[in-house]
Amino acid sequence: MNSWYFLVPVLLPALMGLALPFVAADKKNLHQCVGFVLVLEVASCLMAALRCSGSLSLLRLGDFAFLLSGDTLGKFFSVLFSFVFALAGFFGFEYFEHDEREKSYSVFYLLTLTSLQGLCYSGNLFSFYMFYEMMTLFSLPMVLHERTEASRRAGMQYLGYSLLGACLALFGFFFAQRQCYTTTFTPGGALAEGLAAARPELTLLAAFAMLLGFGGKAGLLPLHAWLPIAHPEAPAPASAVLSGVITKGGVLGIIRVIYYVFGPDFLRGSWVQYTLLALALTTIFMGSMLAYKEQLLKKRLAWSTVSQVSYALFGLFLLCPVGFWGALLQITFHALAKTSLFLSAGAIIHASGFVRVGQLRGIGQRMPDVLWCFALGSLSLVGIPPLAGFVSKWYLAEGSFVQLGSWGWLGAAVLLVSALLTAGYLLSILSAGFFPGKDWPLLPRLRVSPLSAGALVTGCAGLLIFGLWPAGLLELFSRISDTIL
Amino acid sequence: MDSALFFLPLLLFPFFSALVCYLVGRLRHLAGAYAIFSALVQFGAMAWAGYFLFREGGTLELPGVLGMGLHFSLTGLQYLLCMLACLLWLGSTLAAREQLAAYGRVARYHFFSFLTLGGILGVFMASDLYTLLVFFEIMSFSSWPLVQHSGTREARRAADSYLAFAVFGGLATLMGLFLLYSLTGTLRFGELAEAARPWQGTAALYTAGALTAAGFASKAAVWPLHTWLPTAHPAAPAPASALLSGIITKAGMYGLIFLAAGLFAADFGWGMATLLLGTVTMLTGAVLALFSVNLKRTLACSSMSQIGFILVGLGMQALLGEENGIAVAGLTLHIFNHALFKLSLFVGAGVVAAQIHHLKLEEIQGFGRGKPLLMFSFGMGALGLMGVPLFSGYISKTLLHESIVEYIHLLEHEGLATGLFTAVEWLFLLAGGLTVAYMTRLFLCLFVEKNADPARQADFDARNGHYLRPLTGAVLALAGLAIPVLGLTPHLTMDRIGALANGFFASHGLAHAIAYFSPVNLEGSAISLAIGAGVYLLVARPLLSRRRADGGRLYPDLWPKALDLEEKLYRPLLAGLAFWGAFAARLTASLFGWAARLADGIIHWGQGATVRFPEDEFFAVYEAEPKGRFGFRGSLAFSLLLFCIGFAGVMFYMLLA
Repeated sequence: MNSWYFLVPVLLPALMGLALPFVAADKKNLHQCVGFVLVLEVASCLMAALRCSGSLSLLRLGDFAFLLSGDTLGKFFSVLFSFVFALAGFFGFEYFEHDEREKSYSVFYLLTLTSLQGLCYSGNLFSFYMFYEMMTLFSLPMVLHERTEASRRAGMQYLGYSLLGACLALFGFFFAQRQCYTTTFTPGGALAEGLAAARPELTLLAAFAMLLGFGGKAGLLPLHAWLPIAHPEAPAPASAVLSGVITKGGVLGIIRVIYYVFGPDFLRGSWVQYTLLALALTTIFMGSMLAYKEQLLKKRLAWSTVSQVSYALFGLFLLCPVGFWGALLQITFHALAKTSLFLSAGAIIHASGFVRVGQLRGIGQRMPDVLWCFALGSLSLVGIPPLAGFVSKWYLAEGSFVQLGSWGWLGAAVLLVSALLTAGYLLSILSAGFFPGKDWPLLPRLRVSPLSAGALVTGCAGLLIFGLWPAGLLELFSRISDTIL
Repeated sequence: MDSALFFLPLLLFPFFSALVCYLVGRLRHLAGAYAIFSALVQFGAMAWAGYFLFREGGTLELPGVLGMGLHFSLTGLQYLLCMLACLLWLGSTLAAREQLAAYGRVARYHFFSFLTLGGILGVFMASDLYTLLVFFEIMSFSSWPLVQHSGTREARRAADSYLAFAVFGGLATLMGLFLLYSLTGTLRFGELAEAARPWQGTAALYTAGALTAAGFASKAAVWPLHTWLPTAHPAAPAPASALLSGIITKAGMYGLIFLAAGLFAADFGWGMATLLLGTVTMLTGAVLALFSVNLKRTLACSSMSQIGFILVGLGMQALLGEENGIAVAGLTLHIFNHALFKLSLFVGAGVVAAQIHHLKLEEIQGFGRGKPLLMFSFGMGALGLMGVPLFSGYISKTLLHESIVEYIHLLEHEGLATGLFTAVEWLFLLAGGLTVAYMTRLFLCLFVEKNADPARQADFDARNGHYLRPLTGAVLALAGLAIPVLGLTPHLTMDRIGALANGFFASHGLAHAIAYFSPVNLEGSAISLAIGAGVYLLVARPLLSRRRADGGRLYPDLWPKALDLEEKLYRPLLAGLAFWGAFAARLTASLFGWAARLADGIIHWGQGATVRFPEDEFFAVYEAEPKGRFGFRGSLAFSLLLFCIGFAGVMFYMLLA
């Protein structure tokens, strides 16, 4: 029922985005259009999430069909994505005020949103893969936005790693097509037991390739390298969505592959699970460690994303309900926290031009509101209660103990060592920013526009509210995990 | 239960006050006045509503908040600690009006101070370890700006190490809770001991307990996690020092008490570990205090030493098992006393700092001459700390001492060796003696000796009569007065306060009323005082200070730098770990990149040089001498085209297959 409605959130940004060059005459006009469509998008995602269900087959090509369907997981991601896009979009109005290429940026911004919504509402692996490729290609111009030599290299790296990951995923797709009853997403997996049992090694390899490929987008070792290169080159609002949302596209792919295509029972206890767990833990440590050593603010945040998204992957690879809850909580909270952090960084860069961590001394006295938002995001990432990150870490560690038995402490220990490093690389910024010392000269205040400040504060409020009251989210996630585990 | 609702206002009011202080301070400079009002309200509400909750045995459960849900209760010990926190906050806030003037940014101070109060009340009211940790972290992080407040280089460095200990400690505790929860499945105070019974005595439970305790111990400044304390206190403004020393260390202590009473009740191994760490902390703190040449640093190290005394009591109550009433009363009273002493001493130190902005002994020497109120309050605090009979410190120290003696009797009765505990008893008396020595040294320097610089001494004398505001004076007078009043009425007041904790420890209380002023008990104090006199006259005075030409004393810093744990061990260790960690991480991160570069090199083997135009909108790479037919072979568009053709082919194949 009402399944045609899923077309609205998917197509709305694309239509507006394509119309934008003809509709928007000047900057004000552009902002009105983009703001309008972003608000409308959040509303229509909420509408789709609350009111609509069923599935919609659009186009049939041989064995393959473009299938849109809304399950709870997809709806949740869709609302989250549209929300983060709205925050970053509204923030961008001030950030791009002196940028004459804002219009082309906005077009691709909205097209990326379309491809992400498509990812969320995809009902089978084929349409998911299509939207996944679309996401890569549409988000590429955002990385290339500055049109400098460095951004060109970054764009190439981004494209290379994304396509490599997609090819791995495609390789897995061939086998999934053979070995599953259907590649329509089925809660709990649709592996044909006879076929898989005949050649389990091959099926496992296919699953591994697919997970590794989608993991590339999520910053999982070894395909992580694009993140710290692409993020510093992209403009701050684009970094925020790259980090907060597009990496989550990869995570969504991993959820779909594990829990809806191959099935957690097939992977549990196999070498694939243990290899991926090891990779996730290594990535968690590596990302934090390199973020700790990094001096470029946005690059530091990018390494932090590498680490934090792998927290969620770790939870997903545990293949148990508690780990799954932890992972989804981590995805939600990281999306909010990282968006706040990148937008704060953007506000600082826009107002002061500082890009290195060492220049941020005393910035808290010049932009207190921005640095407060940065502080809330940081404390959440470290996992300091009552902010949200604490809750997700608690469930992830609990999942590690439940699932890994006597090795559970190892997972928890890596999570905490990484949290320690996170504190090291984020709190040092706060310390120098808020407390530059007595001898530091008092410099004039730097202002941000109310709209940007509003976007920042909304993200931080989300962190505080969900941190204090994660029960609603937990109930939602346990409803999802009941169907698949 | 209706009474449960009383918890929420008590818990939330400090956070509300923090917000109001911040806003009020931004608009008008009323933050200080509002802070006093708010501290008064909090104190009154805690006294009234808290007593009601304590009597009714109220508990509060907030399921679903922060995932696991929060649980609060208010038993006797918790009520006592909450009252103590509110009392100290009231005292320090009253004094803060005068003592913060030199630093400025009053609103910011009160904002974080009230956040800390909210955290600390949550800690004391927590009835499960999860809640305890949540509020402990809030407290740790909101007290960090207090250390930072003055903004000097020393303050920033001290705040860094304070923060490092807070983060490390918090995460160690979190790890401990993970382990504990995976073993027992509960973190509630009432259920923990029962749930942990199958694991009693196993390495897993001890590991979990030790990790959990590490965070609390670092906040309580237990050796070897104490190194933040001697630097953080002198750096913080005086009202914050009083809070840090008097009550924030007690939050860590409450965590340790929680573990000792709720998880390791009557566990021999845990008790011994606590006792030994307590002994070392007690002595280390006292020796550090003796060497210190800074007023606030001496007081800070003394705090560490007194925490050691409390830990000894905690260890003894575990060892004594069923008959732990005396140790429980002793440690509870010492917590109470120490908070009171440190209030009067640190507020006194704050008066000195507010007047002359220096804390080094040689600079403040002679400041207290002719200032009777300051001398009274400081003297009372000092006498209490030394454990001189008729002052309240004597009562708690006697009880702690008695608990050791009682255990020795118990061992003798069973015919076991008592050597270790006799040694602990003597070390206890020695630490008491050292306390006497360093407090005497401090008192003489401040109130008796004259400053080396006559001009300075004249300046000090000129301030007599108007060196503090009435509010600060009232705090000093009341805190000073409470010490002998309590000390003179041990059965009327002290025994009752001590009995508040019996429920928490499931203790039967004192087996019989203690005759505090009997010769046996006075003997312990006398030995301590004698040791103290000996140490002061034979060591502290001749060896740790120099004679001045005009007969006064000089106080050089003689503490060997090589013994600084933080400077010589922790910081280099961390730097080394970070280096090798980064090395490994960089290696891991680059491996795939190198492989890709190698593959790239092989593919483009022998290719001619390429040209790249700086103003190129299409991101193309052109070969210097184009060989092929397509002019755009090196461009992004060409790569994409090839990819799409390949992709379409694959799709087509799949459709057919």
